Amino acid sequence: MAEALKTYKAVKVEKGRGGWGGPLTVKPSPQKPYVVSITGGGIHPLAQRIADLTGAAAFDGFKSKVEFNQMACVVIDCGGTARVGVYPMKKVPTIDIHPTSPAGPLMQFITADLFVSGVKDENVKPA
Amino acid sequence: MLKYRTRVVSIGDQVDAFVKAQILVLFQAGAPEELASFSVLHQPEITSGTVEVGDTLVLRSESYRVRAVGSVANENLQALGHLVVKCNDLDEPELPGDVCVDAKPLVMLAVGDEIRIEGGRAS
Repeated sequence: MAEALKTYKAVKVEKGRGGWGGPLTVKPSPQKPYVVSITGGGIHPLAQRIADLTGAAAFDGFKSKVEFNQMACVVIDCGGTARVGVYPMKKVPTIDIHPTSPAGPLMQFITADLFVSGVKDENVKPA
Repeated sequence: MLKYRTRVVSIGDQVDAFVKAQILVLFQAGAPEELASFSVLHQPEITSGTVEVGDTLVLRSESYRVRAVGSVANENLQALGHLVVKCNDLDEPELPGDVCVDAKPLVMLAVGDEIRIEGGRAS
């Protein structure tokens, strides 16, 4: 199917146990066609699941460069200081698999409309 | 025992602000630009061990005793060369990614400097 004709579906992402923020609705578009995994060890299965459910393409952010304005969302495995703030600061919906709460030098950017944490597979559902 | 040895390859333009806040963020070379801006990027040479309480972190020639290790710190270090060092004297990490060390001034690293993690207290 040609990229321009591609249709995308939305998913709702809720916080998991011990998590914070959200729920986020992630809906990729032709302008924002990528789910970017900023995690260790390649594309995280949660990023792949969101990509599969929405029709987006999953990318490994440590291997490929994707512009912020093309990201439908990012999936991180952040321990609470750095990655949790960077992507919300750039207004990219951010999903942390670890149950972190706003903290660190960039905490003012971490808001419930842009950030959700502690997310597992069962917290991602078709919207 | 030498657990980890790596060499600094670049210093992001916001590292200075983090260092003033007593936080040092490391990522292995190849991290995306938005993370590189506040990180010290490095090229690991030895990655054989896990960081534990009581280890010594050596930044260039300055030693810091490891006082607490967050639950995801080692996973981050192994997968991404990612370490968040906080010079805060805490014995319990505030955040799961934290490695807490002695609250003494952080050295401002430069390209080419060595970073080591040594098991037990360094002599």
